[in-house]
Amino acid sequence: MENRTGIRHSIIELEQISKRYRMGDVGVAALDNVSLCVAPGEFLVVLGPSGSGKTTLLNLIGALDTASSGDICIAGQNITRMNRAQRFRYRREMVSFIFQSFNLFPGLSALDNVQFGVESAERKPNGMTAREMLERVGLDHRLHHFPHQLSGGEQQRVAIARALATGNPILLADEPTGELDFKTGIQILELLHEQSHLDKTVIIVTHNREIARVADRVVELSSGHIVRDGVPDNHKTAIADLSWEEARDETMAIVDALVLARLASAMAAGRGDCADHRARHRHLQRTHQHVPLAAAVE
Amino acid sequence: MYDLRLSLTQGSYLDQTELLNAVSSIDHADWITATEPRLILPTLVDASSAAQSVIVPGRLIGTDTGSAQTRVNDLYITGGHGLEGEPADAPVAVLEHKFAAFYELPPQGDIRLSGDRSLRYVGTGLSPEYFVVFTDEGGMMAEANFAVVFLSLQTAQTLVERPGMVNDVLFTLAADADSDTLRAELAVAVDELANVGASFMVPQDDPAYNMLYEDIAKDELFWRAMAYLFLAGAVFGAFNLATRLVEAQRREIGIQMALGVMPRWIAIRPLLVAVQIAVLGVVFGLIIGVFVGDAFGDLLQTMMPLPISLQPFQPRIFLEAAALGIALPLLATLFPVLRALRVEPVDAIRTGHLVAKGGGFAPLLARRASSRVLTWMPLRNLLCAPRRALLTLLGIAAAITLLVLIMGMLDSFAVTLDQARVELLQANPERMLVQLNFFYPENSPIIANISQSPVVSGADASLKLGGYMIHDDTTVETLLDMVDMTSTLWRPSLASGSYPGERPGVLISAIAARDLGVQPGDTITLRHPQRTGLLSYGWAESEVEVSGIHPLPLRFQTYMDFRQAEMMGLAGLVNALQVTPAPGVTQDQVQQALFDQFGVASVQPVSAVIRVFEDLIGEFVAIFSVMQVAAVILAVLIAYNSTSINIDERRRDMATMFAFGTRVRTALRVEIVEHLLTSIFGTALGCVLGFAFLVVLLTQVFDVVIPDIEMTITVQPLTLLVALVIGVLVAVLTPILNLRKLIGMDIPSTLRVME
Ligand SMILES: Nc1ncnc2c1ncn2[C@@H]1O[C@H](COP(=O)(O)OP(=O)(O)OP(=O)(O)O)[C@@H](O)[C@H]1O
Ligand SMILES: [Mg+2]
Repeated sequence: MENRTGIRHSIIELEQISKRYRMGDVGVAALDNVSLCVAPGEFLVVLGPSGSGKTTLLNLIGALDTASSGDICIAGQNITRMNRAQRFRYRREMVSFIFQSFNLFPGLSALDNVQFGVESAERKPNGMTAREMLERVGLDHRLHHFPHQLSGGEQQRVAIARALATGNPILLADEPTGELDFKTGIQILELLHEQSHLDKTVIIVTHNREIARVADRVVELSSGHIVRDGVPDNHKTAIADLSWEEARDETMAIVDALVLARLASAMAAGRGDCADHRARHRHLQRTHQHVPLAAAVE
Repeated sequence: MYDLRLSLTQGSYLDQTELLNAVSSIDHADWITATEPRLILPTLVDASSAAQSVIVPGRLIGTDTGSAQTRVNDLYITGGHGLEGEPADAPVAVLEHKFAAFYELPPQGDIRLSGDRSLRYVGTGLSPEYFVVFTDEGGMMAEANFAVVFLSLQTAQTLVERPGMVNDVLFTLAADADSDTLRAELAVAVDELANVGASFMVPQDDPAYNMLYEDIAKDELFWRAMAYLFLAGAVFGAFNLATRLVEAQRREIGIQMALGVMPRWIAIRPLLVAVQIAVLGVVFGLIIGVFVGDAFGDLLQTMMPLPISLQPFQPRIFLEAAALGIALPLLATLFPVLRALRVEPVDAIRTGHLVAKGGGFAPLLARRASSRVLTWMPLRNLLCAPRRALLTLLGIAAAITLLVLIMGMLDSFAVTLDQARVELLQANPERMLVQLNFFYPENSPIIANISQSPVVSGADASLKLGGYMIHDDTTVETLLDMVDMTSTLWRPSLASGSYPGERPGVLISAIAARDLGVQPGDTITLRHPQRTGLLSYGWAESEVEVSGIHPLPLRFQTYMDFRQAEMMGLAGLVNALQVTPAPGVTQDQVQQALFDQFGVASVQPVSAVIRVFEDLIGEFVAIFSVMQVAAVILAVLIAYNSTSINIDERRRDMATMFAFGTRVRTALRVEIVEHLLTSIFGTALGCVLGFAFLVVLLTQVFDVVIPDIEMTITVQPLTLLVALVIGVLVAVLTPILNLRKLIGMDIPSTLRVME
């Protein structure tokens, strides 16, 4: 199995996974014999047209769904053989979801939604509180707002904070920017990308090729098959294409930040050096200070 | 049935021929088209067989069976045959149908009467005066405790050794007759004949007639009240459901509004759904209604068998019900639809649209320090959608209201009964009441035979008289018990006031005091029988003091000191006794031993008097017991339904929790606590409302339906406990019953679908 870094063991291993749905006499193969390995800290984008099986793949990795055949090993554990209680535990301790439609608890404030993440993992990630989590996603002024009082981007940032708050090593995001405008999408993307530098494995599902360009690695699905797996097309030059023409310079600043981060990540890959992570993190923060994201895009 | 009934004062008898002559001599004798002289006497009837022991008090009715000319009240023979073919002096009788039916007696057989006389009954029959059986004490539907024996007049006279005597006459009147004039003339005629008092009755005074005709209106009022209560519950359920249905579509409504669809077109779809549901519901309800109506008709038919019973289809009522059934769900839908249409499209479309604008009361808690989110989640969920929580809460409250109301009704019956039982039994639960068929001197051998019988250890002489209490313009019929107020055997206790002293005084019931508008210390007029000759009694009025109130909740029960009998010219006379069985002697043995004594009309344990209460409220107890089951089922259904809807609305949250690996039991706990909160408040509200309705129903409606009994309005702890248990159980069990659905939930699909 190909492993891009070639050094680390895979944290996610899919072996000949198939998922078939039966609708009366018609069978639909959402995934057909898919094999895939993902290394820890990898920032993977799953690309593909609508109905190609992206969500299905994510749900299988997150143990929300069970495969029709094949094995899925996460951190050495075969989750296809797990019983219900074990799958719940796996979800509690290994994966965190970010949904396209956010799925925040409407009765809980932003802070409490994040606090739910903190508590559902039954341990404090990085010793960070829900409030600090929200500060990190830039929502310290929206702590006590309820989901229906937040914009889509803000809701998605709360959802990310909630997913991060669990401290789980794998982040699964199904079209996290699907409902958002470009500017907000970039912000969200950057947030997630940053996570891969904190040793989290991030899998993002999208059919947006622009997004795919900032990934470490792109897996492309079509009709339930992997049709491509590798470094994104033009991933260095394409960054410029992420912007609008009229906002080119500003966007460049953001994209620079992303590229820098990605390069740093590539350099650090394999070492798992904590100090290095922190350094990268500081670097990112500095970048933010120089070019505030909101200002950068507007 | 008769048009006018003349009864001689208790204890008076007149010669049959003399009386009829006097009647035919009055000025307006031509108004009378038929006359039926009768001899009516209390008795004890023993219809025991090898299989069962049946000894109950009853009444002998001797009536001229010979010519149709003298028949006013006909007997409708339901088994065996009538007395027409029998010789006038044959020792045969017809037994009242309801009594015979209650004990499943054969259509012909033998019975024994007190004074050790045997009779053969040749048939069973219904008489209009006993279409509903009332005892002397006012017990209603008392066929289990009251036997009426119809005989030929001659047989009756022979049996009680009063040849040629009668004490009751029934008349049929011409259409143009004025019964008041006739009354006056008849009263004068009877008085001139023998200085005897007479009382008159028209059918409207007859309890059986009243029950069947006058009370129908009151019963209808009661059943309507119940029906509207059930309707209110149903409407509430419909409203609740409709609101939820529309709420669930609010996003779509918002989208349509955003797309510029005319509001009236948007409204049409949910309203069409409502029409569909309403029509189906009405059709279903009408079909059920026909069956229930039929079953109820049959029930009434067995409870009150009449010679002819018709149950015509009631198109008006069904039309009314259908109209209500269609209109109410429509209205119930219209309101939330209009509400939804008033919402700004943006608010309807955005996520969490079910959440109240501004988050309801959730901001109250928003700034609370966040810890144990899942512990606080139920409360926050409720606070952020207070309207929805309120709907669930009210749904549960409606169910519990109904339950508490109906069980509270039974509680009140039970407590009222208990109160009567405590008063009547006091420290002497074995006490028995002996009723004589006539007034006898206190020192006569008849009384001595009873009081010195080896089966009794103590006996008090007393008098039982009928009469009226009058104050201002109000008259209350009363049963006057003249007892020894210093008795060690038993005496009425006092709820307030004091026992009468030297001056004539009475203890009356609280309800009579209220009706008369008097308090202890006030004076009322007592209209009572007064002895005018050896076998003749007239009516007299005396001023008496209300010295106190007794706790027996029977309106007509009045006590007076036995020593005041002088007032009635009855000093030294006795027509009833209370006795205590000798040690080691059972009440049955006393009954058997005294049954054969001359002059004894009936012997009953005092506990049998309690049956009067049971008879009075038994019909309601039976129906309410059935309704109680229905109410419990309805309560559970409504509560389950409200809770289930709520669970469905929480599915997405549940799926999200599961995606984050929240344990099923933790998620379940969140659900249960949320429903417990609603449920407990709903139950508490239901208990309060139920009690309020109970007070209204018992004071406003029951007061009219059973005016003779004062209900003690009570909701017993057990009822509250049942309500709470149902409320809590439903809150706990509904999520658990939905657990399979919860566990088996397809998480991806639930999360995939947009709200
Ligand atoms: N529960 C289901 N029952 C039947 N078929 C399903 C079910 N869920 C998914 N499918 C089918 O499986 C295929 C893959 O679905 P999936 O949701 O993974 O697509 P996707 O790549 O995420 O598409 P999109 O980009 O539109 O979200 C589709 O053809 C879909 O119709
Ligand atoms: Mg998808």
